[in-house]
Amino acid sequence: MKPIRRRFPWAFLAKRVAYGALAMLAIAIINFFLLKLAPGDAAEALAGQAGTADPAYIAQLRAQFGLDQPLLSQLWAFLVRLATLDLGYSYVFNERVSVLIFSRMPATLMLMGAAIVIAVIGGIVFGVTAARYANRWPDRVISFVALLLYGTPPYWIGLMMILIFAVTLGWTPTSGMENVLAFNTGWDRVADIAHHLILPALAQSIFYLAIYIRLVRAGMLEVLSLDFIRVARAKGISERRLSYRHALRNAVLPLVTVVGTNVGNFLGGAVLTETVFSWPGVGRLMFDAMFQRDLNLLLSILVLSSFFVILANLIVDLLYAVINPTVELK
Amino acid sequence: MSNPILQVENLQICVRKKPGVLILRGVSFHVNAGETLAIVGESGCGKSMTSLAIMGLLPDAVEKLSGTIRFKGRELPITDNRAMRKVRAAEIGMVFQEPMAALDPLYPVGKQVLEVIEEHEKLPRAMAWARVIDLLTKVDLPNPETLAWSYPHKLSGGQLQRVVIAMALACNPDVLIADEPTTALDVTVQAQIMRLLKRLQRDTGVAIVLITHNLGLVAHTADRVMVMYAGNKAEEAPTRDLFLNPRHPYTRGLLDATPNPERASAQGGVLREIPGTVPSIADPMPGCRFAPRCPNASDLCHARFPDPTYEGAHGYACHHPVTDARV
Ligand SMILES: Nc1ncnc2c1ncn2[C@@H]1O[C@H](COP(=O)(O)OP(=O)(O)OP(=O)(O)O)[C@@H](O)[C@H]1O
Ligand code: SF4
Ligand SMILES: [Mg+2]
Repeated sequence: MKPIRRRFPWAFLAKRVAYGALAMLAIAIINFFLLKLAPGDAAEALAGQAGTADPAYIAQLRAQFGLDQPLLSQLWAFLVRLATLDLGYSYVFNERVSVLIFSRMPATLMLMGAAIVIAVIGGIVFGVTAARYANRWPDRVISFVALLLYGTPPYWIGLMMILIFAVTLGWTPTSGMENVLAFNTGWDRVADIAHHLILPALAQSIFYLAIYIRLVRAGMLEVLSLDFIRVARAKGISERRLSYRHALRNAVLPLVTVVGTNVGNFLGGAVLTETVFSWPGVGRLMFDAMFQRDLNLLLSILVLSSFFVILANLIVDLLYAVINPTVELK
Repeated sequence: MSNPILQVENLQICVRKKPGVLILRGVSFHVNAGETLAIVGESGCGKSMTSLAIMGLLPDAVEKLSGTIRFKGRELPITDNRAMRKVRAAEIGMVFQEPMAALDPLYPVGKQVLEVIEEHEKLPRAMAWARVIDLLTKVDLPNPETLAWSYPHKLSGGQLQRVVIAMALACNPDVLIADEPTTALDVTVQAQIMRLLKRLQRDTGVAIVLITHNLGLVAHTADRVMVMYAGNKAEEAPTRDLFLNPRHPYTRGLLDATPNPERASAQGGVLREIPGTVPSIADPMPGCRFAPRCPNASDLCHARFPDPTYEGAHGYACHHPVTDARV
């Protein structure tokens, strides 16, 4: 037995990459003009830092940065810089923006990856259980807790978790990503980071979990009422197999879209959690950039974030077609 | 000849926790090995509930109040889902009305047939798959090897119903319940599907319970017919007997509303309504439930439910049966 392979949708992919590139270009141009709208420019900022307002010096810096050029050639230079991943310089952090962001990236990836994996697994297990026992006590408990979590501000959950698990019980560290002073290496370091990761990952996942449970439960209930489920029952297959193999796979389609959106938005999604837990990720960097008016850094993160959103959307559409054969990618 | 494989005795089904709201009011019948029993009756008379009860697939909103269902002499534990799983498809297969909605859209059709075999028999994958291809061939599907990997949305209604039939017969059940298997299909496809079912019955000896509104279909395919009315069995007889010599006024009404049942399928011979309406399932009338619509009704009919009378294989529940034969 050999399944028939579906052809890879190259045409679809090419079209979507082209659209994505266009969208990125539009976002970059809009961001460029937003930058220009902000009072002052890099030359003034740098001169201010150097403690001088000498017009000749500022003019020299402007020439050096190309700020004396016409707006359109400045735009072109900006786009070229973006295309080469040169996002400029952060005067607040005294570091190139790209270096700054990519050094923070692993921490955010780790936090969001763990949180979303926990939320997807939990959302499926609890959502399916709730649907299988619809309106009986397991469903009542799960649905009530999900509603409670959905209605609670995520940062408050984070603070409460710190208070209970870190401060009162002392099970986990209160903040940060690792105990730098311990100079751990190898597996010790991995264990130390994992220990630090537990609380923020759980806090972040709870926010998604509440949404995923409700989504899976509703989808399951809808699918379980369909004809083919009764036909499958008449085949003598078990309720568990029915739930996970037939109902869930159909019910999970809307979840794929929502998880995809959350994944694509991972840079901005963790701002509050990273701030509450002093987690050294891009989200916290964004928060700092906002408070210190580091406009260039902030906009760079936004442009990058929009790139990930577009990429995630494309991947979701491809994945959707893999799960759902009735979808034709065109 | 009479070798009952399935026996339903005094089956009562009510709305859950409402024993007064009866959907089936004590139905008894049997199915002989290898025969075709047709069940006919107006919409809502309880045909589907009867078949779902046999499969142990009653909806949550209803429950069995009393009665027994025996398969090969053994009582079926229809409320025990775990035990019934071994009966479903393995001993009693079922085909439903809507082929378009009967298959999971996310799996190739062959895999869905395979699932039945793997559930009930310990076979190596390759052998089970060979059986899937064999089954798809037997239900006359073109290019079974390729078609097995098609998804349901690529198939026509008739093809899907063939897949569903292959699924229902995959484990050689002794009884096949077909609940309006052709209602959703084109007339020409209807005839093909019925011919297929009859051929498979000849080859495998499976007994078929055919639920239908189509009297033409009944005339052509059934050995015996059971007529239901408002949750009761009204009449039961060998097909020829029933068509020529109906004893229950309701049966008579049905037949008279269909000009020529022998050629009815060509005329689209679907049950036509008899004037008046069926009483609500919650209506606790003490007498015959057909009385308000019956030309023969008497005070006795309104006061007391008629006990079934048998003349050989021909049974009916009526105080004043029709006596003149149809011409
Ligand atoms: N979920 C349910 N809850 C309560 N009553 C129901 C439910 N499903 C069906 N019924 C009732 O059971 C009765 C019998 O329904 P059933 O589906 O067996 O009829 P049927 O003879 O198959 O009709 P049709 O020819 O339309 O398929 C109907 O009167 C209906 O009102
Ligand atoms: S019992 Fe009476 S009312 Fe009922 S069908 Fe017979 S004659 Fe009609
Ligand atoms: Mg029905």
